[in-house]
Amino acid sequence: VRVLGLETARGLLLTLRHFLRTYVVGARRSLGMRAPGKEGPGSAGIVTVQYPEERRENPERFRVLPVLLYEEETGEVRCTACGICARVCPPQCIWIVQAKGADGKARPKPEEYLVETNVCMNCGMCAEFCPFDAVRMDNRYELAERERRPGDVMRLTDLMVSTRYWARSHPVAWASMEEQRRIRAAAKAVPRGGGLTPPSSGVQTPKSPA
Amino acid sequence: VAGEAGGEAMRAIEEEVRRRVAVLSWRGLLSLGDRAASYGRRSSLWPMQFGLACCAIEMIATAASRFDLARFGSDIFRGSPRQADLMIISGTVTKKMAPVIVRLYDQMAEPKYVMSMGACANGGGPFKEGYNVVSGIDEFLPVDVYVRGCPPTPQALLHGLMELQKRIDGESFIKAWHLRKRPEVPPPVAGPDLVDLRQLPEIRDGLSRSLPQRLKAPKEAPSLRPPAAVTESATGGAVVTARDQRAHEVLASFGAKPAGGAFLVPAARWTEAAVALRDTQGYDYLANLTAADYEGSIEAVYHLYRTKDAGPALAVKVRADRNDPEVPSVTPVWPGAALQEREVFDMFGMRFRGHPGLKRILTWDGFSGWPLRKDFMEPYYDEPRKPYSTRWREGHWVAAEERNRWRRNVLYPADWDPDSLPPSRPCAPECDTELEDDRRLLVSLGPQHPSTHGVFQMRVLLEGERIVDLEPVFGYLHRSHEKLGERNAWLMNMPYTDRLDYFCSMSNNLAYATAVEKLCGMKVPERAEYIRVMMAELTRILNHFMSVGFLLNELGAMFTPMLYALEEREIILDLFEMASGSRMMCNYMRFSGVSADLPAEFMPLFSRLVTERLPRAIEHMDGFLTRSDLVMDRMRGIGVLTPEKAVAWSASGPVLRASGVKYDVRRAEPYSIYDRFEFEVPTYPNGDAYDRYRIRIAEMWQSLRILEQVLKGFPGPGPVVERNQYSIRPPEGEVYHRCENPKGELGFYLVSDGSANPYRYHVRAPSFVNLTALSEMCRGHLLADAVAVLGSLDVMMGEVDR
Repeated sequence: VRVLGLETARGLLLTLRHFLRTYVVGARRSLGMRAPGKEGPGSAGIVTVQYPEERRENPERFRVLPVLLYEEETGEVRCTACGICARVCPPQCIWIVQAKGADGKARPKPEEYLVETNVCMNCGMCAEFCPFDAVRMDNRYELAERERRPGDVMRLTDLMVSTRYWARSHPVAWASMEEQRRIRAAAKAVPRGGGLTPPSSGVQTPKSPA
Repeated sequence: VAGEAGGEAMRAIEEEVRRRVAVLSWRGLLSLGDRAASYGRRSSLWPMQFGLACCAIEMIATAASRFDLARFGSDIFRGSPRQADLMIISGTVTKKMAPVIVRLYDQMAEPKYVMSMGACANGGGPFKEGYNVVSGIDEFLPVDVYVRGCPPTPQALLHGLMELQKRIDGESFIKAWHLRKRPEVPPPVAGPDLVDLRQLPEIRDGLSRSLPQRLKAPKEAPSLRPPAAVTESATGGAVVTARDQRAHEVLASFGAKPAGGAFLVPAARWTEAAVALRDTQGYDYLANLTAADYEGSIEAVYHLYRTKDAGPALAVKVRADRNDPEVPSVTPVWPGAALQEREVFDMFGMRFRGHPGLKRILTWDGFSGWPLRKDFMEPYYDEPRKPYSTRWREGHWVAAEERNRWRRNVLYPADWDPDSLPPSRPCAPECDTELEDDRRLLVSLGPQHPSTHGVFQMRVLLEGERIVDLEPVFGYLHRSHEKLGERNAWLMNMPYTDRLDYFCSMSNNLAYATAVEKLCGMKVPERAEYIRVMMAELTRILNHFMSVGFLLNELGAMFTPMLYALEEREIILDLFEMASGSRMMCNYMRFSGVSADLPAEFMPLFSRLVTERLPRAIEHMDGFLTRSDLVMDRMRGIGVLTPEKAVAWSASGPVLRASGVKYDVRRAEPYSIYDRFEFEVPTYPNGDAYDRYRIRIAEMWQSLRILEQVLKGFPGPGPVVERNQYSIRPPEGEVYHRCENPKGELGFYLVSDGSANPYRYHVRAPSFVNLTALSEMCRGHLLADAVAVLGSLDVMMGEVDR
């Protein structure tokens, strides 16, 4: 049986119920009963993130732009200018100049490393295929600027972050990365024929699901 | 001591008061006015309801309940530029769209602000090299704030808004907007390429003196390869079923010979052969029609199916001379070919004899060149294949703009006369169209219209309120996806597929990954298969929620149902972000697996989502909308597509099934591990907008059923990728692979020449092909119903225009 207007009234009641519930949620929240942004698969509705007073917690894998890691202790850049990131980059926004020694021979260091952020598609492939754990994806997203240039081009100095900075924001990935490095180092130390074999290049070992 | 400290504090307060509160001079008084004006202005920025591409979806998410743009006073998106003072350029600015944007900006009242959102609007983005893309909106409009990211998350957009507010705070009443002389920007004109009228004298001079337009000549031109050789054996070496055997015999009777996995039919007899295939062999469904450019010839490729039974495609090719390509049109046989033939004409210059309205579709009339021909080189053309040699070892950066004389992504034919350019008009060209019957009215809906799902235009011929005819206009978001795809290495296309249908990046990934795997014969680990199905079905639920939300929006239930839909979208996106690192542009699948295993916290959340939240949410949506008087009154009997017509017009996915045709690629040609799951293919009999709405609700329940089985059978820890390589070389050959995407059949037609880049990369986009029947469905209805029909088709412009 179809009563004209009944369904519309139901819809309006729903909106009213939703409206009233916001007060309940708000009250609980001000009492600290629910952490902001923690609504999820088990709950109903969604709670507004009061940006900028509070920020949504992004998951660890959240990625925006690439960065280059340097060792916290030694200040050494991990990048060897091998060029794999520049080769896998889908929109080809990475430009690398390899450093040259006094003898004119190429050295495993970047002299210039440049990312065109207005071309970058934040896909994360440079980090995924970096064999030296040097290129990693950063999670800073508050990147609005009033001028297009020169901020749209990130140079070596803009891209460098310390391993400590990255480890702090990516604890799980960092731990598995260190684990892999240890295994590789151990494999290198053991003479040929014994011990662990290093993961062959191109194969990504899955991040452990813990 | 206490007194002294107190005195100091008093002095500090006094100083503060004098500086900030007390008004001691005329200047102070004025600055007080400044602050009040800026405060008012910055706290009530009204954005225009105007979205271009992927970023627009994040912009909508920002306006929705989770991030709530209203907290910043930017409450309601204004449908008209005259009521708005903020323009958020959210997405790729194409050459076809740029004049419209400038025109809209000119209509906004001062003071007005422009925010450029995302890499594309900032500087061309990943599509920068594309022949139809403007490298940054700042070429035409004065941008106040640039928001980085691809796409920026809602919080990043809010940060951009705050940056804009800060900028407005710094504005002075004394140097007020109405005293400031803003240089007038004339809308650019679409000539043989986009023409910035301010550059016209320079262009005229440059062309008359034949100055080189490319400042650095390309090192290497793209090369053509010969087409697949014709073999004499009956099947071309392929194993064929009895059904194929009969079809091959029929084709052979028309002089067809096998070549490269398909049947090569002589152009002269193709129409006859097509009729025979349809009428005697039951090939009633033309899924895909495209072409490929080879040395000496251009090949039109057709992929045919029978909706009555399952099975792979019958591939047919017709060759035409490259210098003057012409083949007979199959539109009379399969009307679904209409738009696809126009696309082939636009991209390859191939004419289809007998096509009722053959003209440019993605570019515009007067555009110079056939973009998908191999020898077409864009203004920013670098090298024929990626990776570019200029990027590494000696990667001294040169901005692409620097290599072009006009510092723009444009190139004009040497013999072009700039004075032949049509003058810039105050409105779109169709306004000038003379109508022979003065009771008739021509209305242009879009490309900027709140109800056209993005930058889509419908030219509607009305008699009173009734639609006499409707012509869809495409290409406002044509980002040269396929041209870029043929220069990319195989894996590089993965993140580009994210940007096809930007609701369904996971399913797009899946379709492309499975297509390449089919080409290479790769295996996928069990765990990865489960993850893939999980992501694809979550995407389907997400997409259907949003399609219902958008549909209701278009029926006039402004924003409310969509807000509920967006809530569920946010929750599903949280899971995507957790697994892949990005909300929208997941780039999660790899050839032979997925990029990373699920994080530890994923499964418990997923399990609760499937068992608790989603069933409740779907029931909610169903319970409140399906029986609603308004929904039923607006949609029943609207835009009816009979089963015969649905098949003939090549409709796919929910649109096809809502017309009562039980056809689902997951059942007809199972991919991944869909053959292991139990689910039904729901159909509805009427084929009207209401059934297209109901089918989506029904499909969500089926997806949920699959997800429950995924949850039950999810394998333990194990590898999630067989071999994740960044450079693969599939064996020489070609493949057409399709997946049942939420919007319909997403197909990839890939031709490999054995190298690290695809030779031909074609996307058969469900939204695009589903639009073929739009005019047919709208005729005779009211204008308002056209919007309902479009909403019920559920199209996504990123995929329509590619």
